[in-house]
Amino acid sequence: MSRMLMDRGGDTPVFGHFGAAAGYAMAARRAMHEFHTGPETWKHIAVGQRKWAQLNPRAVMHDKPMTHEDYYNAKWLVEPFRLPDNCLVNDGGRACIITSAERARDLKHSLVTIMGMGQHNPSTDFQQATYLSGPTGARQASKTAFRMAGITVQDVDACEIYDCFTYTVEITLQDYGFFRPGEGEEWLSGGTIEPEGKMPVNTSGGQLSEAYHMGLTPLTEGVMQLMGRCGDRQLGPATNTKEPEIIVCSDNGAILQCHSCYILRRE
Amino acid sequence: MTYNKPLPKINADTKEFWKGCKEHLIKIQKCGNCGYLRHPPSFLCPQCHSQKTDWISSTGKGSVYTFTVNHVAFHPAFQEDVPYVVAVVELEEGPHLLTNIVGCDPGKLRCDMPVEVVWDDITDEFSLPKFRPVV
Repeated sequence: MSRMLMDRGGDTPVFGHFGAAAGYAMAARRAMHEFHTGPETWKHIAVGQRKWAQLNPRAVMHDKPMTHEDYYNAKWLVEPFRLPDNCLVNDGGRACIITSAERARDLKHSLVTIMGMGQHNPSTDFQQATYLSGPTGARQASKTAFRMAGITVQDVDACEIYDCFTYTVEITLQDYGFFRPGEGEEWLSGGTIEPEGKMPVNTSGGQLSEAYHMGLTPLTEGVMQLMGRCGDRQLGPATNTKEPEIIVCSDNGAILQCHSCYILRRE
Repeated sequence: MTYNKPLPKINADTKEFWKGCKEHLIKIQKCGNCGYLRHPPSFLCPQCHSQKTDWISSTGKGSVYTFTVNHVAFHPAFQEDVPYVVAVVELEEGPHLLTNIVGCDPGKLRCDMPVEVVWDDITDEFSLPKFRPVV
């Protein structure tokens, strides 16, 4: 770990800048300067996802509930991020089989198809980037994916968003068009993304509260929700949410330098 | 006193920059073809791909583009500094520079605050450009 922090950052360790948390914290701070956001917005994401983890016995944070007060009492790591703004560090594995629709119809589980996908990679290193507070690659990637799918965000039943940090979830949903810049806190408040919420997000607990499996955490959860294999956290009557037909998922890499958006549908 | 923090790793691209720092100058690459200013140093221009490169000296003035307050020392030598500030400073000339902000209560720091360079002579070989608020 120490070698990874020391050898991969060019000369950034000279100034005490280490790792992804510090890079995303730079992005989040600039966003706080440009529109209304900050811990008061991100607490809804950290706490909301933790509620989903309580319904998922495999989640690292199962049986570890968190309140808004717990969030504010958590220690600073790289300010403006507290510990619960950061994803988990864990071992584990995930796999997803992609095959033809024809072959999939012969298998035990129900069919989930890819309606649309898009990528956009602004690439510029965070030190020179001026897109850290949006629009990030999520804007163009989602435009491509939604156009291919022939739908809008109004048609989406749930989201599985790559959540390396709480801010990543906010800027991704914002760039996808679920709310306008600075309106995240209002959109998220009242349990929007939680069990019984109107737009469930990261229904396994996500990488903040279930497990970090890179882009496989959102992908496998999206597929399994549409297959109806999620037990106590299953979208639909079990969690008093809309039975899902369409789920939008994301992945992103480096410090917001690359983004993938894909839209899944239950056949 | 021994300096225990990580030192710059000089390579063909960064050699001229760190040599400038030793003379208390922030040297920025200027494309010899299109004039684009770039940092960190690289062997070709990201705008026009020309390898023709000149160097200019920055005034050492700029503003805070963004910053973090680091409460955990991921390298033991930074333990004595926590909480310390790492910032991206936008130089007057345009390019951004990763650095530290010193001489300022982290709680009073704001994005877009004007700052100026202050040199930290850490070893016989290296001086680091750090920044402080313009008073």
